[in-house]
Amino acid sequence: MSTNGRTLAPHRPELVTDGPAPRRPRWLEMVMSSDHKDVGRVYIGAALSFLVLGIVCFLLMRLQLAVPENDLIEPVTFNRLLSVGSATLIVLFALPFVFGLFTYIVPLQIGARSLAFPRLASLSLWLYLFGGALLYVSFVYTPPEGGFNSWPPLSDTVFISNNGIDVWITAVGLTVLGLVLLSINLAVTVAKLRAPGLAWRRLPTFSYSAAVSSWTMIIAGSAMVAALTMLEIDRHFNGVFFDPGEGGAPLYYQHLSWIFFTGCYLLFLLPAFGAISEILPVFSGKPLLSRRVLAISLTAIMPLGLLAWMQNMMTASIPIGFLYAAMLMSLLLVIPIGAIFVNLIGTLAGGVLRMRAPLIFSLAALSTLSFGLILELIQSVIPVNWLLADTTASTAASGYVLVGGAVLGGFAALYYWYPKITGRVMGEALGRSSATLIVLGAQVTFIPLFLAGVEGQQVDIFKFFEASDAVNSMSLNAYNLIATIGAFVLSIGVVLSIVNAYVSLKSGVPTGPDAWGGETLEWFATSPPPPHNFDVVPDVRSDEPLRDIREAVRRRDASRSTPSETREPVA
Amino acid sequence: MLALLSPPGGHSPNADDLNTLYWVMLVIGVILLIAINAALLAVIMRFRAERGRQPRRLVLRRPAQLGTAGAFALLAIVTFILGVVVTSDAKRIEATGADGLQGSAVLTAQRGLTPPATSTKSAPLEIRACGQQWIWRYEYPDGTYSYYELVVPVDTAIVLKLCSTDVVHRWWVPGLSGKFDATPGESNQTWFKADETGDFDGASYAFSGASYAVMRTRVHVVDVPTYQAWLEQQAAGIQEAQTFVQQANGETGG
Repeated sequence: MSTNGRTLAPHRPELVTDGPAPRRPRWLEMVMSSDHKDVGRVYIGAALSFLVLGIVCFLLMRLQLAVPENDLIEPVTFNRLLSVGSATLIVLFALPFVFGLFTYIVPLQIGARSLAFPRLASLSLWLYLFGGALLYVSFVYTPPEGGFNSWPPLSDTVFISNNGIDVWITAVGLTVLGLVLLSINLAVTVAKLRAPGLAWRRLPTFSYSAAVSSWTMIIAGSAMVAALTMLEIDRHFNGVFFDPGEGGAPLYYQHLSWIFFTGCYLLFLLPAFGAISEILPVFSGKPLLSRRVLAISLTAIMPLGLLAWMQNMMTASIPIGFLYAAMLMSLLLVIPIGAIFVNLIGTLAGGVLRMRAPLIFSLAALSTLSFGLILELIQSVIPVNWLLADTTASTAASGYVLVGGAVLGGFAALYYWYPKITGRVMGEALGRSSATLIVLGAQVTFIPLFLAGVEGQQVDIFKFFEASDAVNSMSLNAYNLIATIGAFVLSIGVVLSIVNAYVSLKSGVPTGPDAWGGETLEWFATSPPPPHNFDVVPDVRSDEPLRDIREAVRRRDASRSTPSETREPVA
Repeated sequence: MLALLSPPGGHSPNADDLNTLYWVMLVIGVILLIAINAALLAVIMRFRAERGRQPRRLVLRRPAQLGTAGAFALLAIVTFILGVVVTSDAKRIEATGADGLQGSAVLTAQRGLTPPATSTKSAPLEIRACGQQWIWRYEYPDGTYSYYELVVPVDTAIVLKLCSTDVVHRWWVPGLSGKFDATPGESNQTWFKADETGDFDGASYAFSGASYAVMRTRVHVVDVPTYQAWLEQQAAGIQEAQTFVQQANGETGG
């Protein structure tokens, strides 16, 4: 084993041993800690809590839209649920969840003892917790009501004079700023703190996707922080950035905010693909079809996806040449995404599939993502976009990608790494029923929404009207009712997994360091890992370092002619 | 089943373009969707863990990888070219048909003049559609205006100049055109040529605040004589209302 000081990560100064009991409560200890494992756990826990709150907003909105011309919820209240709910699901759940997983897993996976900037990670966490809490505390006074991206001029003081928009700007701005800082942290960690011998070409795909995701967030998040700052200056400090009368233009904000939301969209995809391509080899017993193609594809998705941001603005008054370019970029995304699907399915083919929860969630994620990505493909052609944009058909497409990528893909990662994080395996039966309900619920919600969108139902409306002719009206009513029922099924499925994660903290089956027979370095550490992660950081000689270690152990045992001690998967 | 998937029937050449491409893309999408999900299902059924079987390594060599990438690239390029062709086709404003309001008549309506000898037959009828919270206001060439309902002659090329007086709005009447933004400070336009008389319901498709959901609109397509009669009646009504307001103001000394 290498104890070569040059290649070891700088050791943590505050090494905790079994000393005196901590004076502060456990949760405070975790929030104040700059250990990447504590930061990651609080990120994951908070993200899952916000997911529950987001689901509540989402279900209330679906209840209001269950029947035509419903009066259950006031229009203003609906708009507040819409603003808070979408900010919750995207900015407070999806992004922090995957970045929490990155923060926990990536340093372990690359054989590092900490993040590159441990204290910066704490700052990111605090910004997130403060921003998220602020958004929900606003329900005590004035919640935001500017819609899911608070476009000016609507979000200007002329049209919405209360402080709800300021709350939204602050909450989203702080969380995104935190995530940008965390991304810088992760990008540097992956670039600089890899174990000796862990070349880029041997980097586990999850860590690779962490690097690509971080760069995406650095670009997209910075654009959003800039846009939000300008919006706040416009609102309260006589700014004219987005004021058409004074030489500004509302279109500038649309561009910047769409760069961000396109980035969010990619961040539903990239971490999910990264995690799934870790899980499939482990549970099919054979390596990835082509690690190289997968890495190239993940890298290609980022520039193509970000450059396609105007794909969301095809109805705006933009010269058609720019729109053609955006259309080309989003259509070209078919190449890397198609290559990823081919390689993942090829990884499964010929394998011996152990149908455990992580694999089930991965397969569920791939199927659900295929629906969302293909609906996106259909809409990326300008004329079809003119037809389907801003109808519930586009909601259905993004919904599929959110559920397939952030929820199912994220849960696949959670089920897979939960034994590493807690030392226990999450409940298998609950996991299976959760995955089934999510997949079914997503289809029952989004197929009717797509059909309603094809008929022309608007997105974000607080009520829908009976169509003028009887046939259309009947189908529109049916679609909305079925979608509401589906939303409940979907939500129950999601909540089951969250409950599972909570209950398994105490009651999960205990497991050793290597719960699934993984090939990457994180399974070398104990479960949960010690504060310094590794006593010794091993040299990496291939893209399956743990297999090499097992081989070495086996050879050593054989030469000593002791009873063979192969490391079989524990659970 | 197909009826469920079909968008509102096109009643304008550009809406027909949109619907045609929608079907093309939908077929491509459904084929891909079935391929991916069938492959996933087949793999799950075929390769479940069983006693004694060893994983068999599958190799997709570089030519095969490049081949699949090439197939996807071909798909991207073909759909891109299709998209550009159909987009430019849908943007091209067609000439007014034989049953429509003719160019000379448009000019007459616009300026109240007798038609000149050489009439510009194909000139489209330009109408301003202004979004405001939460109603659409339509301004006709002769200065007449109407709220909520747009009255247009059949078989006539109508160019809608979109504008907004407050926040971003998005105009769309399914079956007549695509969606286009009315953004304050920006100019944008769309066009349509309705092929039959009748009512077409539409709405605003950009979130615009408290009463966004009720911001709807209707296009009332009539034949040319009815249109001209309506225009005169509307102008007279507006005139009458203005006179009334002026009188009322005069009486109160305002």
